[in-house]
Amino acid sequence: MEQPNDLILEMQNGNEKAFSRLYTMYSEAIYGIIYSIVLDENTAEEILQDVFIKVWNNASSYSVNKGRFFTWLLNIARNTAIDETRSKAFKNSKKNLSTTNFVDILSSSDSLNTKTNAIGLKKFVDALKPACIKIIDLLYFKGFTQAEASKTLEIPLGTLKTRNRTCINDLRVMVLG
Amino acid sequence: MTAEEIIASGNLELYVCGALSPEEVIEVEKAIAKYPEVKREIELIEASLLHLAETVAPPVQAMSWTNILNSIRNLKNVEDSKVRTLNLPAITGWAAAILFMGGIMWMLKQTNDLNSSLRVTTTENTVLKQEKSTIENQLAKNNETLEILRSKDYQAYTLPGNQTVAPEAFAKVYLNKKENVAYIDVKGLPAPPRGKVYQVWSLKMDPLTPTSLGLIDFQNEAGDEIYKFINFPDPEAFGITLEPEGGSETPTLSQLYTLGMITI
Repeated sequence: MEQPNDLILEMQNGNEKAFSRLYTMYSEAIYGIIYSIVLDENTAEEILQDVFIKVWNNASSYSVNKGRFFTWLLNIARNTAIDETRSKAFKNSKKNLSTTNFVDILSSSDSLNTKTNAIGLKKFVDALKPACIKIIDLLYFKGFTQAEASKTLEIPLGTLKTRNRTCINDLRVMVLG
Repeated sequence: MTAEEIIASGNLELYVCGALSPEEVIEVEKAIAKYPEVKREIELIEASLLHLAETVAPPVQAMSWTNILNSIRNLKNVEDSKVRTLNLPAITGWAAAILFMGGIMWMLKQTNDLNSSLRVTTTENTVLKQEKSTIENQLAKNNETLEILRSKDYQAYTLPGNQTVAPEAFAKVYLNKKENVAYIDVKGLPAPPRGKVYQVWSLKMDPLTPTSLGLIDFQNEAGDEIYKFINFPDPEAFGITLEPEGGSETPTLSQLYTLGMITI
């Protein structure tokens, strides 16, 4: 998918319509990332709103010449969600999250997303190698740096990179055909 | 590095995840600019990850977008009202300018009023000055006359009224015999009727010879109702008659108002 630079530039000029279209394109994925971190729909909804308000207010800090817009959104979403998990109110009300990852969510969810071919994807994700699940969860959903992930998973950086590539490549064949 | 090597390195997946170091990010961005296939590869990786995250998301509530919209519009409104607040100095400026103009107009009107009142006063002043100078002249004349009459060179005589014509009338004569100058005070005479004028005569008794001194008119006026006459023969008596305007060659005795002898 080519990045919609025109829409991004219009949003940076204060165009609400362009912002609305960008929200439609990215909000579900961002919501998925946030939900995988906080594991509570109401909290995730609030954070999603926070994230897009931040995007609107700080739109000028993104440049289409530097980095992917999606990556920029990812960073804002993960940081905001992780900040929330560190808050006192969140710690007091939530169970231990350390063992949950995106596959657990997929496996336990009854109301799967209708927009994507979630059923087929679920089957595939269920079949993902445990190593892939861990790598994608840390690097993509939890926002670990490669060095942090390499240390956490106790695998060399080079191995981490190639394994991550293989995992995402498998995913890609499944998703995009 | 070739495009294939970069794609196989696994750095593009980390780039999309945001897990690369800043130096590697610069490297990848250089490759994106250089190789279209690297850019295309990144777009495919991004699409895969985007779909994966979407499958994990519970259904998004429509309210979320409404809330976001309300929130950014409120912020906008706050900014708008800030702008409006920032306009306050301009509004104050305009108000001050209008007040200032009003003030200037008021002051112009005041100045006009003052100017016209000043013109009136100046005119009044001029009139008063003229009156004053007239009165001063009159006073000087009177004083001069008074000084003359008070001097020892002048003798005072009263010309009583003619019993048949004007019994109440009288005139006073102040006479300098040495120089034959006479001042005649006509305050005791009634005002002459229209078209008539008083004429003063010097009289010799034997034989009766009247000589005209002149008319009681502005040409001989020396003060308030005082008239000066010169150049006449030594008088034995003075008479005043009422004559037609311009005077007469000989006195009209039927209209003799006053007559008095000059004795000693």
